[in-house]
Amino acid sequence: MDLNKLARHAGEWLRGSGTDADIVVASRIRLARNVNDVPFVSRCTPDQKNDLAHTLSDVIIDIGIGRDGHYFSLEDLGEIDRLLLVERHLISRDHAEADGARGVAFDQHEKISVMVNEEDHLRLQAFRSGFHVEETWATIDELDNQVAERVDYAFSQELGFLAACPTNVGTGMRASVMLHLPALGLTKQIEQVVHAVQKMGLTVRGLYGEGTQASGSLYQVSNQVTLGKAEAEIVQNLASTVPTIVSMERNARQVLMEHQRERLEDKVWRSFGVLRSARAISSEETIDHLSQMRLGVNLGLLETLDMGTVNQLFILTLPAHLQKIEGRRLEPKQRDIFRASFIREALGES
Amino acid sequence: MLCENCNENPATFHVVEITDGKKHEVHLCEDCAQNKNIGVPQSLSLNEILTSLMEAHTEKEASELSGVSCPTCGMTYAEFKRSGRLGCPQDYAVFRKGLEPFLERIHGATQHQGKVPRSAGPESALTAELLRLRRDLDSAIESEQYEDAAQIRDRIRELREGQ
Repeated sequence: MDLNKLARHAGEWLRGSGTDADIVVASRIRLARNVNDVPFVSRCTPDQKNDLAHTLSDVIIDIGIGRDGHYFSLEDLGEIDRLLLVERHLISRDHAEADGARGVAFDQHEKISVMVNEEDHLRLQAFRSGFHVEETWATIDELDNQVAERVDYAFSQELGFLAACPTNVGTGMRASVMLHLPALGLTKQIEQVVHAVQKMGLTVRGLYGEGTQASGSLYQVSNQVTLGKAEAEIVQNLASTVPTIVSMERNARQVLMEHQRERLEDKVWRSFGVLRSARAISSEETIDHLSQMRLGVNLGLLETLDMGTVNQLFILTLPAHLQKIEGRRLEPKQRDIFRASFIREALGES
Repeated sequence: MLCENCNENPATFHVVEITDGKKHEVHLCEDCAQNKNIGVPQSLSLNEILTSLMEAHTEKEASELSGVSCPTCGMTYAEFKRSGRLGCPQDYAVFRKGLEPFLERIHGATQHQGKVPRSAGPESALTAELLRLRRDLDSAIESEQYEDAAQIRDRIRELREGQ
């Protein structure tokens, strides 16, 4: 598996297909798991980490996730390669920046990723394009069962799966959806929605940066608690709350189309104009314009583009991706210039 | 506007700090802001929040547990409170008294309701054996017992290929 090739297109969960994919960009579930009778990662000696990394990566490869060279030891990767994996959501930023023996395995479609020696010995994750939390759970549940046949998990009848952080104990599960909510932002309703969702035992945070007015209008909604509720219940709570958010966003879009269509079209086309003409552009500015364009594509205001292209650009224009595509380290200023020319090319303009 | 820190790149992060009622603006470029952890979601802050939450809810238990450390990993209760992370699976039993009110606060529950792992199959014993052999291998190499190390390595290979 060649990371250089990886950098040229985004994983399958960003192709923009699936139920409600105009608003629910993707569904994701992760499980935290640890091996019985071994200290948690933060308390392992370098040798113990080494042993775990070897043994657990073998287990994962035997199951078939890391075959075809998709297991990467992070110690062997350079900074840009590790950041590339962060930008693709295959590993966490903490995992990229930690030290000691650790790694990640993922399948070629990037629907599954397994981090070894992150905060927990194993972090199993499944991704899907669109609103498919139940199916995502089925995938990760099956993988978890396969691992459990080979690994004796740290588990107690009372507290469930024992995790390094007590906020993850129990199911060890974080189920989330990534939502694109630009119209709720434009109609100034997003804060109320966020407050209401939080009352349902769910956490909302911006995908890029903290705060309620997230850049790019991209939000992550996930379960708050992991103990005392069964996985199916957690999945169900998320699955029954998301459609309400989706319909509120749809209503807001409709209101904008009926009452402020010119203003909306102007915004969308200006963003398109900036992205296909700019000669230097930062990632923050790119994310904001891509978000407007994504809305435009979904409302049929920008018919020449498809959602997959716009979705991909969110990832491919991030710093590590650009540097991999260009094949060398780029200083921020050079990055902005290269980013602009890369986007112009992708949008078919000079 | 150029970044105040490096004076090289354009400032894209604008931070307003208010100290003692005085407003102070800082303008930084993407790289310098990242180095100063501005604009980047930090897991550290969650940790700090957790730690202070725990302080507030486990004061009574803390005095009882102050001298307790885990016989398996050596973790003390004070260390756990500082880091918000446990040292090994046994810590949940060792620090149970201090953890319970905390779990009740964050999860509103203290009893697991979800999945029970399929009783680990015979292959899990194999994984445990492989982990043990890896440990033996490390110590054989460390004490320069290379013949032993070679034997252990062969044994690991046999076990893996026999799977």
